[in-house]
Amino acid sequence: MAVMQDVSMKESTTEAADSEHSSVSSPVLQQLKVVVSQVERGVAMKEMRLISRALRLMMSVRRRFRGPTLAAFIKHVLPVGSDTLSRLLPFFCKDEKDMEVDSTSSTLHVASHKSNLLPELEVLCYLVVLVYLVDQKQYQEAKACSGFAIARLKMLNRRSVDVIASRIFFYYSLAYEKTDSLVEIRSTLLALHRTATLRRDELGQETLLNLLLRNYLHYNLYDQAEKLRSKTQQLDTHSNQQLCRYLFYLGKIRTIQLEYTDAKDSLLQAARKAPAKARGFHIQCSKWAAIVRLLLGEIPERTTFMQPGMKKALKPYFELTNAVRIGDLSLFHMAAEKHSSVFHADRTHNLIVRLRHNVIRTGLRNISISYSRISLADIAAKLRLNSDTAVADAESIVAKAVRDGGIEASIDHANGWMQSRETGDIYSSNEPQLAFHSRIAFCLNTHNEAVRALRFPPNAHKEELESAEKRRERQQQEQELAKHIAEEDEGDF
Amino acid sequence: MDAKIAQAQALFEKFKSCYSRKDFDTCSTLLSELKVKLTEFQGLPPLFQQTQTAVSELLLARSIFEHAVVLSILTEDQEAFERHFLQLKPYYSDIRHLVPSSEEEYPILGLNLLRLLVQNRIAEFHTELELLSPEALKNPCIRYAVELEQSFMEGAYNRVLTARQSVPHETYEYFMDLLAKTVRDEIAGCSEKAYDYFSISDAKKMLMFSSDEELLTYVEEEHPDWQIRDGCIHFQRAKEMVHREIPSLQLINQTLGYARELERIV
Repeated sequence: MAVMQDVSMKESTTEAADSEHSSVSSPVLQQLKVVVSQVERGVAMKEMRLISRALRLMMSVRRRFRGPTLAAFIKHVLPVGSDTLSRLLPFFCKDEKDMEVDSTSSTLHVASHKSNLLPELEVLCYLVVLVYLVDQKQYQEAKACSGFAIARLKMLNRRSVDVIASRIFFYYSLAYEKTDSLVEIRSTLLALHRTATLRRDELGQETLLNLLLRNYLHYNLYDQAEKLRSKTQQLDTHSNQQLCRYLFYLGKIRTIQLEYTDAKDSLLQAARKAPAKARGFHIQCSKWAAIVRLLLGEIPERTTFMQPGMKKALKPYFELTNAVRIGDLSLFHMAAEKHSSVFHADRTHNLIVRLRHNVIRTGLRNISISYSRISLADIAAKLRLNSDTAVADAESIVAKAVRDGGIEASIDHANGWMQSRETGDIYSSNEPQLAFHSRIAFCLNTHNEAVRALRFPPNAHKEELESAEKRRERQQQEQELAKHIAEEDEGDF
Repeated sequence: MDAKIAQAQALFEKFKSCYSRKDFDTCSTLLSELKVKLTEFQGLPPLFQQTQTAVSELLLARSIFEHAVVLSILTEDQEAFERHFLQLKPYYSDIRHLVPSSEEEYPILGLNLLRLLVQNRIAEFHTELELLSPEALKNPCIRYAVELEQSFMEGAYNRVLTARQSVPHETYEYFMDLLAKTVRDEIAGCSEKAYDYFSISDAKKMLMFSSDEELLTYVEEEHPDWQIRDGCIHFQRAKEMVHREIPSLQLINQTLGYARELERIV
């Protein structure tokens, strides 16, 4: 209750100060004040959900952040003369020198209320400024600001800060990524991750783990990323966004390490769980998923490349898929060559080099389905193996395809031909049953997860208790009634 | 500190002279002494302290490990190769901005790729490949390894074997010989599945044996289930046809699982 009063007092006293300057952007300021009061309520009730809801509210107005508004905001929240204020203000005063002069006098008289400032609010100020700087593309300033914020966070050990802290970590890393100096913060991130683990700050752990993975993958350090990932504790995830990112990174790592089936699962799941608005993320997921499916020997459906808003970005991959589907090596090389700059930018170039082998395999499968018997020389011609020893090459390629289960055939070396074998009826095998099982398992799993994700209002069980008490009363009454009836019955006899 | 470097440098010169005389035993003992010396330098990984002599320390250490890697190939010690290469790796990745890159870098990276290929560690092969820049991939030593892997995955074993003639660096020959053996095993494994039979003379050619005796001893040692009759090798395919049965226990388990889950829902 005390906190609530504090808020209302603050608001009433500062309103006058606000109206003096920046009356244009006051809705944003009002919104930010709502955020502050929500955070305070969240801290008072120890309810992380309220804090994250407040942050969501803040993010909804981030596009309308302006320097003067934010300067007014942090002056409103932070006590005059505090370290944080003196560190944060210079980020705005650079362009507006006169700000400080007129506002210090107006905020002086509210300073007395703010002596017991919540650390959450202090951290929130850092976050607001950081978001603003990143949005303004002032990355050098953002780096400095996040540096202060991290230094401050290291001194705090409150679980209610965690939600805000994890956002700060994210922008910290983003600022460094934009200036292409991610390698500098790797050890800081590792230290923070260690601290988060020790303090059971699970949100911080998953955020930092993702940032570290991103950090490693930025430099293609798949080995280190996988080692870190496999050695950290697996927790129940708290944030859907972080889960999506994690799954995406996991998918990438597994693709590089040739675990295509698992990679496909992670990538598709990441795409499915990601919010519909995150189009860039969806595009990335679709690109990687398309390649992984090709590497697995599957052909992605046409619709994956025709999704609204993604058609243009996915065109190179669509052409590639087409080449693999037909099994035409020269078409494949043409597509790879034509879009090589895109593939280099996406860092999928090495994966596409791996695909060559799949093109041959698909071509071979088409041949083995169409012909019951075909000479090796014809195979070499159809696959366009242009080398001096094309026939011998074709023979060993066919032999390997047979061994790997790609095609059902046998080779007659003496006559130099390949004889296709009858493919068995798939419905006589266990295959349909397995497919059926995996679908049922998926549905049941979804149901169970949905049940687990349900949330109940905090005091619902207490009401239940009360009703239990009432029930007891009622039962007692009933019993008494029953006794009476029984006695009466006895009396009758 | 300078004295220490000079000392290590002198020792390294001695090592190099032994190395050029191909006196590998002395080289190994000198190398272990050198490695002890290296532990005293502050500028080396994992400390990476920015001392005044850091650059010369790094250059010396990198050169020592490069020699150590090549030495382990000459002594045909794959484990030592892996160890030394891992020690060398930070010098190629983490200090790029401190010292000029080494001439030996690409040949040695290519060698490592080849080693992973020979040991059939394909996942690691690709992980290493991702670390290389587009310029590195154009280097003949790296390209060689990459193309070998492609031919190997496709099954174009002839190309792998003919590549033996065009090695970009004399140190590559050791691994190429090892690779030839891997290729032979692969061919044998594929043939078993893809052919019903083939004649001994064909087999000799495909498996790269110079005489019938070699082939027969190979078959006896590695594939005792192959039958040799009428001058042909027969692969018993019938044996593989396993009798198909209904996996009843698994089915029961699954059905019970469905029942349990459904009960929970209702």
